[in-house]
Amino acid sequence: MSPITLEDLSLRDVELSPPLRLLRDAYFRAAPEICTERARLVTRYSLEAGLFQQDRITSLDKARLYRKVLENRAPVVWHAKAYQRTPQGMREFAFQDTSPFAGSTTSHFKGVPLYPEFLALGLWPELRTISHRASNPNQLSEEDIRVLNSEVFPRWMNHNITELARINGTDEDCRRLQLLQKLLFFLASKPNCISHTVPDFSRALREGLRAVINDALARKESAGDQGRQDFYQALADAMEGVIAYARNLSDAASQGAGGESDPAKKAALEDIARIYRRVPEQPAATFREGLTTVWVCWTAAHLENPNIGLSLGRLDQLLYDLYRQDVQAGRLTVDEAVQLLGHLWLKIGDHVPMVPDAGEQLFGGSGSNQAITIGGVDGNGQDAVNDLTYVMLRATELMKLRDPNLNARYHPEVNEDRYLHRLCQANIATGATPALHNDRAVIRSLLSSGHTLAQARDYAVIGCVEPGSNGRFYGHTGAILLLLPTVLELALFNGRHRNFGEETVYGPETGDPAAFATFTDFQAAFQTQLRSMVDEAVLLNDWLGRIHQRFYPTPILSALFEGPMEKGADLIDGGAAINASGIAIIGLADVADSLAAIEKLVYEDRAVPFADFLNALRANYQGYETLLARLKNPDKTPRFGNDNARADGHAAWLVENLHEAVQGRANYRGGNYRIGYWTMTNHAGFGRFHGATPNGRQAGENFSSGLTPCSGVTPSLVPALLSVAGLSPEYITNGLALNLKFTPDDGDPAAMLENFVAFVKGYFDAGGMEIQFNVTSHADFIAAVQDPSRYSELLVRVSGYTAYFKDLSPMMQQEIIDRTEYRLSTGAAIAYGPFALSKGVSDGCC
Amino acid sequence: MAAASQAKLRAASCDLVAELTGSVTDGFLEALLRGMAVSFALSDSYRQNIDGFDAVFVFRTRDGRVGATAVFQYGTLSVESQPRSAFDTRISFQDSDGLSKSLLAGDQDILNTMLSSPVDAEGNLSYLYRFGFLAKELTLQLGVG
Repeated sequence: MSPITLEDLSLRDVELSPPLRLLRDAYFRAAPEICTERARLVTRYSLEAGLFQQDRITSLDKARLYRKVLENRAPVVWHAKAYQRTPQGMREFAFQDTSPFAGSTTSHFKGVPLYPEFLALGLWPELRTISHRASNPNQLSEEDIRVLNSEVFPRWMNHNITELARINGTDEDCRRLQLLQKLLFFLASKPNCISHTVPDFSRALREGLRAVINDALARKESAGDQGRQDFYQALADAMEGVIAYARNLSDAASQGAGGESDPAKKAALEDIARIYRRVPEQPAATFREGLTTVWVCWTAAHLENPNIGLSLGRLDQLLYDLYRQDVQAGRLTVDEAVQLLGHLWLKIGDHVPMVPDAGEQLFGGSGSNQAITIGGVDGNGQDAVNDLTYVMLRATELMKLRDPNLNARYHPEVNEDRYLHRLCQANIATGATPALHNDRAVIRSLLSSGHTLAQARDYAVIGCVEPGSNGRFYGHTGAILLLLPTVLELALFNGRHRNFGEETVYGPETGDPAAFATFTDFQAAFQTQLRSMVDEAVLLNDWLGRIHQRFYPTPILSALFEGPMEKGADLIDGGAAINASGIAIIGLADVADSLAAIEKLVYEDRAVPFADFLNALRANYQGYETLLARLKNPDKTPRFGNDNARADGHAAWLVENLHEAVQGRANYRGGNYRIGYWTMTNHAGFGRFHGATPNGRQAGENFSSGLTPCSGVTPSLVPALLSVAGLSPEYITNGLALNLKFTPDDGDPAAMLENFVAFVKGYFDAGGMEIQFNVTSHADFIAAVQDPSRYSELLVRVSGYTAYFKDLSPMMQQEIIDRTEYRLSTGAAIAYGPFALSKGVSDGCC
Repeated sequence: MAAASQAKLRAASCDLVAELTGSVTDGFLEALLRGMAVSFALSDSYRQNIDGFDAVFVFRTRDGRVGATAVFQYGTLSVESQPRSAFDTRISFQDSDGLSKSLLAGDQDILNTMLSSPVDAEGNLSYLYRFGFLAKELTLQLGVG
């Protein structure tokens, strides 16, 4: 346990420095620019090395490729210009970059890196339109259009992961790929990335990358077979590339200092040159050097791993000793530490993922979901909260950025109350961050799924909300997104999906529910469809994983991870200390409520025959208004989130069945499958295309987010919290997102904070795993819809990650506005009149 | 593109312009492919987009009402009125309007089109992305993009 030395935990006297504030302003002004640097260099060196001709690409092939790319990347120390969106189109603007951290993920101030090995070719039809599309446009120059169209994309047409999977797959593999391309069953993310994991920076910080190289070369000498020898050489080559990039940045900074007349800038550049000459090659000796090591390794990790869900882990633990030593030696003040972290946070947010038009509705507004984890307990179960935890909180509060996505761990029996108070205070101040995780429940969950106690205690949050041991868990937590309402659809319509017509059967023909004598018969049909869908998704994930093993090993990440060095195996081949694949479930509350409705209305009350219920669904409840009203009334139809045993029982049954459906399955790396409940923006996107469901949800309406009860059915907060907390952590091993919306009370701020803390403690004491908030008034959300420019920095929690409200699709904005909003003073839901934001429902479905 | 060539392209593509500025009919596919073929013949810069691109695309409605094969080879496009059985990419669509939207849709319409009027692609999807770029380029040349 580290003693807290800060007198004021909120650090309210620390504000952003003027240069950092200016840089932050430029950041918010800047539109993302598509960057071709990575795609161009990877293509060129793949051609030179003949990799397009190979039917297998090794870790060593990849390491040599990345080394060349890193050696030849443009070493940008400070950016000077960016583009902003104006009514006349994209316009360039200049700004003063003063960051102490040189280098960037792309060649731009805020860039969109392209990975043609994955889905970048999806941008091809939009090269001419992406700069001026209505939703989240990306700047793309004429020259870059030419480069992509003529030099990059044609080379990858037959060599991207999707195509490699298709041409190397069996008919069954290809059928599953086609099912994936239908979109409405499940999403498998391996055509786009693996990424969702946390590297281990500890060795780079403690010993430096030179020590990693020396270790790899020593192991190569004693390795028995050529494959292992090559793997160790790959680790060494990959890290040489990272060091070369840092040295190039050092040289560029030195050169810049030589030509600089402003003494302050000259000194700043000389500092950068000196630091980048030392780290990450050598051990970090100061807090700033530590941050630089993390940053340079982070850019290298993103060179190899697409920028979706790669997460930074427990930085307050990893960097604390360097921070403490500097503060104790008088080399660093708390204020300076906050400024340094603010600059690093901006750097971490210097990229966004490529999202083509078609993806905007499903993923629009998403950042790169780079989670940072603070607080909690250490490997011995002791309080791990330290001064740096609070410094990071303050930096987050002041910067209010979408990325990084801050997640705070809290152990009710170990961490102090004042820490929880500070976490809740930060949520009120930022309106949306950090997300809070209950150590007691999460550690229990991880212990049940293959972590040792020490590993579980050292968990970090990945991507949105998924827990995994820091630096040693290769979990691809976002491997599959499974639409539970589609499982229900197939059970209701005998293996068919209304969107795709009667002719094609997508699931087992489990029979017409109108002929089922009991609710148990319907549950059995549902279970059959569920197992079938899980089978399809898991088998496709495993097949795509084997394609990754053959064509996309990851030597950079392998060198920055616990396990590959010891095992002599790349991460993709099971080198990590812990392996897994994660499935995220969309629409749990809607399906639980639907099961409750069917059981009560069809079988118990005999109020409506199943055949009529199906007709009502087909008619989107038109002509069935009485039935619809009954379904929407929680007093007449049980709903999950009201602490109602029957409805909550259905949620528990679903959670247990999903867990059972993946038990005993080993993935392609020898790890297990884990189930979680977080939905990002997909509950809104997919809801738009799904027909009416038996819980009274009409066609095109949003599904409920994460594991949150459906909006409007929970009149008070406590039952909602108890319903969610009652679900067993042992069955929720891939994280959950409980999204709550609090209205900022007009009354006493101190009382508001106390109530906030009390609700969180109550939820955690009842066993809740995770909770996240939006603390913005209904009026402000409405105003933000009406005048987005005035609310360009309005930060919201979606379902997992944070986003800027203005960037979200209309459906997603509507979903956030519609979420049940609770008054902190009483916990009572507040009733608002309807606010119709999007153009309507049912325009894309049956 | 030179003014004379531009005029020739516009003349040869009047059907396509009509399709894109009015209601899309079953003539859309033929008009699009013919417009592309003419533009490849007239425009060096447009032809450069298919340097080294050899591919066979089959288009067909599910009911067989409309069908065609587009063969890219040696920097030219030839169009056959019958769908071939062998292809690199085959696009099956419900109606011509759906095909038009899936190839040329503006902001956020693509997903809606994919799901409301399904366009199924078989084979190499990257080829379809490239075809989408070519179609978009043509409509921009014609001033209807």
